[in-house]
Amino acid sequence: MRYEAPESVQGAVALLAAANGDARVLAGGTDLLVQMRADVVEPELIVDIKRIRETRAVTQENGGWRIGAAVTGAELKEHAPLKQAWPGVVEAANLIGSTQVQGRATLGGNLCNGSPAADSVPALIAAGAVAKLAGPHGQRDLPVEDVMLGPRTLALRPGEFVVSFLLPPRPPRSADAYLRFIPRTEMDIAVVGAGVSIAVDGAGTITAARVSLGAVAPRVLLVAEAAQAIIGSRLDDAAQERLAAAARAACRPIDDKRGTTEFRVDVAGVLARRAALIAMDRARTR
Amino acid sequence: MADAVATTQELRIVGQPIQRHDARDKVAAAMAYAGDFALPGMLHAFVLRSPYPSARIVKLDTQRAAAMPGVAVVLTARDVPKNTLSTDVPGQTTTVGPLRATLHVLAEDRVRHQGEPVALIAAETLEQARAATEAVDVEYAPLPSVFTTADALAPGAPAVHESGNLLAQWRIARGDVAAGFARAAVVVEGEYVTQFVDAAYLEPESGVAWIDSDGVITIRLSTQVIEHFRDVAEVLNVPQNRVRVIGTYLGGGFGGKEDVTVEVYLGLLALKTGRPVKMVWTRQESLLARAKRHPYRLKYRTGALATGEIVAQEIDLLADSGAYAYLSALVLLYSTVTAAGPYRAPNVSVVARVAYTNNPPTSAMRGFGAMQTVFGYESQMDRVARALGIDPVRVRAVNTLRRGDSLPVGQVMETHVAIPELARRAWAALGTPAAPRAPHVKVGRGLACNLQPYGRIVWLHDWSSAWIGFEMDGSLVVRCGAPDVGGGQASSLCQIASEVLGVPLDRIVVHVSDSALTPLSGTTTASRQLYMSGNAVLKAARELRAQLLTVAARLLDTDAEKLEMIDGAVHAPDARTLSLRSLLVECARASVPRSHLGVYHAPAGEPVDLNAGAGKVFPDYTFGAHAAEVEVDTETGEVRVLKYAAAHDVGRAINPQSVEGQIQGGAVQGLGYGLMEDVVVEDGINLTTSFATYLIPTAADVPDVEAIVVESGEGLGPFNARGIGEPPIGPPAAAVANAIEDATGARMTRLPITAERVARALGLVTE
Ligand SMILES: Cc1cc2nc3c(=O)[nH]c(=O)nc-3n(C[C@H](O)[C@H](O)[C@H](O)COP(=O)(O)OP(=O)(O)OC[C@H]3O[C@@H](n4cnc5c(N)ncnc54)[C@H](O)[C@@H]3O)c2cc1C
Repeated sequence: MRYEAPESVQGAVALLAAANGDARVLAGGTDLLVQMRADVVEPELIVDIKRIRETRAVTQENGGWRIGAAVTGAELKEHAPLKQAWPGVVEAANLIGSTQVQGRATLGGNLCNGSPAADSVPALIAAGAVAKLAGPHGQRDLPVEDVMLGPRTLALRPGEFVVSFLLPPRPPRSADAYLRFIPRTEMDIAVVGAGVSIAVDGAGTITAARVSLGAVAPRVLLVAEAAQAIIGSRLDDAAQERLAAAARAACRPIDDKRGTTEFRVDVAGVLARRAALIAMDRARTR
Repeated sequence: MADAVATTQELRIVGQPIQRHDARDKVAAAMAYAGDFALPGMLHAFVLRSPYPSARIVKLDTQRAAAMPGVAVVLTARDVPKNTLSTDVPGQTTTVGPLRATLHVLAEDRVRHQGEPVALIAAETLEQARAATEAVDVEYAPLPSVFTTADALAPGAPAVHESGNLLAQWRIARGDVAAGFARAAVVVEGEYVTQFVDAAYLEPESGVAWIDSDGVITIRLSTQVIEHFRDVAEVLNVPQNRVRVIGTYLGGGFGGKEDVTVEVYLGLLALKTGRPVKMVWTRQESLLARAKRHPYRLKYRTGALATGEIVAQEIDLLADSGAYAYLSALVLLYSTVTAAGPYRAPNVSVVARVAYTNNPPTSAMRGFGAMQTVFGYESQMDRVARALGIDPVRVRAVNTLRRGDSLPVGQVMETHVAIPELARRAWAALGTPAAPRAPHVKVGRGLACNLQPYGRIVWLHDWSSAWIGFEMDGSLVVRCGAPDVGGGQASSLCQIASEVLGVPLDRIVVHVSDSALTPLSGTTTASRQLYMSGNAVLKAARELRAQLLTVAARLLDTDAEKLEMIDGAVHAPDARTLSLRSLLVECARASVPRSHLGVYHAPAGEPVDLNAGAGKVFPDYTFGAHAAEVEVDTETGEVRVLKYAAAHDVGRAINPQSVEGQIQGGAVQGLGYGLMEDVVVEDGINLTTSFATYLIPTAADVPDVEAIVVESGEGLGPFNARGIGEPPIGPPAAAVANAIEDATGARMTRLPITAERVARALGLVTE
């Protein structure tokens, strides 16, 4: 096994593109190293991207925020302006693991590990985040909802990796929120995750919304029907019910010991509604 | 026992919340645990285990594995001198008549559960040992199997053992149950189901063995029972004095290290290779291979008068032993004895059975069969109170056993049963009820009490011994075979010796857990070690004190009874003092021994015929009451414990810090049992062999546990202490279930009480 830590995006792409056999990007390693120890993956090449400046920075860009793919949860937590603009994204990232795991875990790793239960992914999708990919044929942008195709399957082409995410500018009176359900309080894998981003007008009517659900389908879902169910409303009881129903209708979860299909579907409705209420509350006060 | 020191003098050391000598090292990660030891030239060992829950071994060829790089030896059943291991009643006693339980060290022609050991490999490195394990050529032919106790007992079920699938049954009956029900104002019926759980200690099974320069096979490991040196000797076919077990301070035992773990494998490999060998189970291996707590199905029918007084109990218990007997028959006995709780049961019948299946074996775990029953009898008690509109504290007080009353098994309560006071105090400790923090949240409270035997079954004739001796400088050495499993066992022994002999704690060193060099003290199980070895140390200390004071009295020209030993000196009533050093010099001159071996024999009795229904089974019991306040999310079923108070009558707290630690730890482990822990076994296959799937509570899942220590002065231990190791794990599951009904009206009857189960009980889940 070979370990490389290039200092540029091009350097990383060159290594990844030239690799024969299994090559893996290493960010925090909280998924990759665990999988290697359990003999789930046995890469021949490991490309550590943490020395690449672009993957490690949080910067403002055209009124939005660009977050490097290898920025850790702990670093996001410390970033007050980002937290102010995208509280849902940051709270989702901060739910990953424990204090120890937070010091390593990254958004890029969370997405590219390819788990439908990844916590930060529904929040990124609800936020309308776009991933910047770099590969042998240059760079391209891909909405986060299009990066993951199914469990452990990504839309990345050979030699490509995620450099950063762009969160769009925040209109006034808009906010996001993320909630998850797990069988214990911490250190567990989501049974359901729900991210909601909302913008309201001066009268408190929802003008735009995005709703995303995790752990209820082979990939994290962007549920347009759920958003439609609340746009134009003030999130009154009826709109909440419509939202919950639309969220439930979109679910196609697995059935396992962590939660049966019916239970996950039920909780998805509850969480979508609660996340929307929190986002609404935040949006109104801005 | 006679208790001169406790009653005539104020205690100076006993009763103080003293920081244990092992505490700092553990927090600072300086403690050397069994897995931390290494020896030059040491081999690493690994066990090959069966992937099938029930199969015939058609082929077992080790040739290829033995030829792998670095491999020193590959052993199968054929290589084991005596391939049968006794697994019943470890410790000082080895004959329990009809309960004899054995298994094969390595599988012969058949495996009966997933994870059953098939071959043993030692190699230069762990990686080489593992690689060789994969090179062992085994072929299995799956056999018919059975995975539920109901199926196991059905006619025509595949037999797990030739003796049939019913491993043991106990029946007791007292009074006239039918007449009791006829008088009852209310009859409550319930069926409860409990799950497999794992001890889940931080420190997995581990040890190192070598042949010492004296030719003795020496095994240093993490164990609750150093007396397994005898079982190792039997398997190795060497005299018992040729095997020595040294126990280390444990990173948790909870019953999981009561049965043999790595010591037989290590002994075999050291014997076969002549080299030091190390074995440390991985977490996955530990979760796969260790015996679990018995799952139970408990059926209760309870009749009560309008006053709440219980007049009839009909109880039917069925437990899953998994593939081997281990301690199942005894676990079931504990259930039978405790089935009606710490309450009067004038008309009662208990039928208890335990069956073999092809599931993981089950054996000892903290609570030992007296735990599952709490979920049954305390759920019933709460339902009775609810049906009659009686306060939960009151209904328990109405029914509490009084001194002189009998348990269903006919054992007369000889000590005070403090349930009413404990219940009142635990309940009061919850304070003012929390207001629900959101409209979808409901808050409720629950109470649960229990009784737990401490000390061993009286017909096992339990005993313990301890040696105490002075060095010439007046420092003191205590030797006692008791393993310290983390409960402060060793440190409490020092406190007792310090109290009696007036030696400051920093002048005492204690050596524990060495089958060759410390007097045998029996197992650190059954909440017996403070009781038994505490008494042995107390006896040794008092007898040594008497020996020394005779000499001191002569020197000080006064009566020995008037002398006191405090702070390293002997004090006369007229304020004259004699230093320990001078006293010891005089003892040497006068040929008076400066050391003493104390042997304590517990009150013994003859086996009781349960079917005939009368007699003493356990020396005594510890009582407790726990109160929980929970909130239930009425949209998701999520349960959070907001407040928790746990009261136990410990007789006397030798070290209140250690007692509180046992109560808090037990309560948290019990909450894990109640709310999340679940070894999921599907068709004999364990699906939860990592901490990502086997969930135990984290610090974020439990509130502060308020430990309420009540000291009735009624126990059989030193200074009238009672055992407190196991009791606190009993009540939490029932306390939480009762609180959930209080909050929501839903009665949870199956453990663990997951959010999904609550959601279903609340009708939230649409099919
Ligand atoms: C104890 C523990 C608790 C956890 N709890 C949670 C939890 O609560 N919620 C949750 O969602 N997850 C949890 N996880 C999983 C994990 O921590 C997260 O998925 C984390 O975000 C992964 O980030 P990382 O930087 O460590 O990824 P890594 O392990 O470095 O990488 C993960 C995968 O993504 C690939 N990869 C990484 N970065 C890139 C990139 N920029 N471009 C392309 N591919 C890339 C790697 O090759 C690898 O296949 C937990 C893990 C542990 C060990």
